[in-house]
Amino acid sequence: MADRTLQQILNQLKSNPSLPYSEASSLLSKAKIALLQLKAVTPTPNTSSAHLAVARDVYEAGALFSIRARDPAAFTRYVSQLQPFYELAASALPPNHAERNKVTGLYLLYLLTESDYAQFHSELEALGTRDVGGVETENDRFLGYPIKLERWLMEGSYDRVWKAMKSREVPSEEYGVFTDILTSQIRSEIASSSERAYPSLPLSSTKSLLFLDSEGAVVDFARERGWVIRDGQIYFPSTSGAPGEDGAETGTEQEFSQMVIQNTLGYARELETIV
Amino acid sequence: MPGKTPGKEPVENGIRNNQDVDMTDEKSSMKGKGKKAGKEGEDMTVVVPPPKNTKQSSQPPPADAEGDVAMDDSDKVEDFEVKVDPVTQTIADIKSNFALLDRAVALFDSRFSLRALRSISSLRKRLTPDILAQVISETYSPSSTSASVAKSLLQAIGKGDVPLGSQSGAAEMEIDSDPKAASKNGNKKETKEVIPEVDLFLSILVQVYLFDSKQFEVGSNFSKYLTDRIHSLNRRTLDSLSAKAYYYFSLFCEQLAPLPPSPQSPIVGLRPILLTALRTAVLRKDTDIQATVIVLLLRNYLLTSHISQADLLITHTQFPENAANTLVARFLYYMGRIRAIQLRYTEAQDHLTAATRKAPASVCALGFARSATKFLLVVELLMGDIPERATFRANDMEEALHPYFLLVQAVRVGNLEDFETTIADHASTFRRDGTYSLILRLRQNVIKTGIRMMSLSYSRISLRDICIRLHLGSEESAEYIVAKAIRDGVIEATLDREHGFMKSKEVGDVYATREPGEAFHDRIRACLALHDESVKAMRFPMNQHRLELKNAQEAREREREMAKEIQDGDLDEDDLGGDFEGM
Repeated sequence: MADRTLQQILNQLKSNPSLPYSEASSLLSKAKIALLQLKAVTPTPNTSSAHLAVARDVYEAGALFSIRARDPAAFTRYVSQLQPFYELAASALPPNHAERNKVTGLYLLYLLTESDYAQFHSELEALGTRDVGGVETENDRFLGYPIKLERWLMEGSYDRVWKAMKSREVPSEEYGVFTDILTSQIRSEIASSSERAYPSLPLSSTKSLLFLDSEGAVVDFARERGWVIRDGQIYFPSTSGAPGEDGAETGTEQEFSQMVIQNTLGYARELETIV
Repeated sequence: MPGKTPGKEPVENGIRNNQDVDMTDEKSSMKGKGKKAGKEGEDMTVVVPPPKNTKQSSQPPPADAEGDVAMDDSDKVEDFEVKVDPVTQTIADIKSNFALLDRAVALFDSRFSLRALRSISSLRKRLTPDILAQVISETYSPSSTSASVAKSLLQAIGKGDVPLGSQSGAAEMEIDSDPKAASKNGNKKETKEVIPEVDLFLSILVQVYLFDSKQFEVGSNFSKYLTDRIHSLNRRTLDSLSAKAYYYFSLFCEQLAPLPPSPQSPIVGLRPILLTALRTAVLRKDTDIQATVIVLLLRNYLLTSHISQADLLITHTQFPENAANTLVARFLYYMGRIRAIQLRYTEAQDHLTAATRKAPASVCALGFARSATKFLLVVELLMGDIPERATFRANDMEEALHPYFLLVQAVRVGNLEDFETTIADHASTFRRDGTYSLILRLRQNVIKTGIRMMSLSYSRISLRDICIRLHLGSEESAEYIVAKAIRDGVIEATLDREHGFMKSKEVGDVYATREPGEAFHDRIRACLALHDESVKAMRFPMNQHRLELKNAQEAREREREMAKEIQDGDLDEDDLGGDFEGM
């Protein structure tokens, strides 16, 4: 009984990916109840491989739906539920590389947007030892995308990130969900580096620099960050102005000598204990 | 000593077939030919080559390919005693350790058991099933309660049919070359039971033998049984020995198919056992097992790239402070690796530096030192430092580190092209070392160094030139990258967007900054920490200070007496000076 309903739900989910999230999630909870009845929520040694495959498919579908609905919490939940299934031997559960790579790639991208680089690299390390379906990890369509983005972000080649997001390199529509987050992320990165790197910027070129559509948007953005616009030029409020700098200098000077004194006293004390 | 052995053939067969033979066989042989077999074991002069298990012989060699980290695996060169028969010598050596273990129990001092464990590496090459069987059969009497233990040991080495020859063997041995040990053993057996420490020591020898002869399957089954037994015992004197047993258990599991990176590897099944062992060890404040098991677990997680689990383990456990130095070194190494993966480079560098420093200087730990150095180099590069040239010239390191040397060169110059070719050429080496994914992250450092070089050499350079020289994709990329470098504090410069160039700021005097002071402070702190640690590491014999106090007291009394005598004028200046003049 549960078997059949499960199969039905799965077909329904797979056939129309544009299902509203509320409907999809109610279907998914039904599927989960069915899985409970089959005792296939988590893999056990005596779960049949058919049930395992169904369970995996349900979770994968759930992950994709939650991404489309921009529900990161649900997405991470599904990803962690999928982990034990992915650890199974190929004999117990024939692997489905395409789906798995898609979900993993999405997860990587999610970590990237959260700036959780530690977790990102931990996942990447795990990918290194895994068979991802015959190809190099980086050459996989789904996995290569977040990996390349991360590399470019770290390097600072923001234009490439931008191009990759705009072009057809985006492997599937789910990946597009992250585009907005990433865009605002790189924009703020660029802004913070510009503040330090340029003495001033002409309004017109800032538009292309920040990947904004119009000069009006530039003005809005500048106001948001507290930049001063004068004669078509953007001036950045210097973080350490001329008078302020002097003050800071003497402050650090004092701090520095204090540190030196403290250290030297420390050495003296230590010497005392040794000798 | 008779050279030919009548019983040799059947025993050899026993090795091949009897691995799982049940008790009936043993019992019959025990009654029937107890004497004969006992004799046979003693007569064995030819060292039988370890039985080859054809099934596993296709496995890769254990220590070299994989176990860079397993320090105990590479042994010191063994100088055999030429004069003495190697078999009897070995047996005597093994037995001499029993005395050490006895003392360890009696004095409750783990140093003796450690000494016994240290002898394993020298015994290791000389172990054969026959020697082991003989030692076991001489140590246990059939009537003792630990007879079943002995039988399981014999079974594991495929000598299930050797009886527990008690006095029968001893009688004959007296004629033989080793009468002292035999009679001593015989007497001991009459008076008391074999202590569990000896049990365990023999079990470890069996493990070592099985590992060396590549019988991993048998070994892991035996180890499983062994750890179950360890778990039921609660004796503090066993700690260091049981730690060793867990260590070999883990080594066995690593060698079983499917090999580690696969998530189905038996090492995953080992985790619950190790975790229970860890829990028990923590409850018993058993630092030996605690340290060993934590290290094993970390190694286990890293082999299957379960970084987050490893991280959780670290955050939820505390590595015992007074663990053995080798274990501390390994722990630091694994910590360093985990932190490096998590981009916490400063911590990674601290741990890895400490690991390389703590690694034993002898040849036996060369693999570990190399591996740690490799990771350290990569982490230093990732932090933007250039490792010292001397690292690569160190003895025994030059060849192993060559790919890394090329890498450092590429990064130092900031040549992206060289960097890419080095990675492509040595990809397999880096992959094997587990540094590949870390090295891929270096790309940005190469670019940064390149930019820094540009900024140092030119006061003003166009973005276009930067783009060409660093082989960047486009001018726009170059602009973003330079801007990021400026923000990250890699260079001191400004960009001019309209004219498209980078203008470097004057570089200030380094000695006017606080940098030298900080470097100095760091070094002093390291020295002080070293001093503290060495003070902590010193070991003082129990109650020795009382003796010294007494001596000091006496000396003081003598002094006082002398002073009194001087005062009384019994011993005047002339007296003292007279001696001096005489010289």
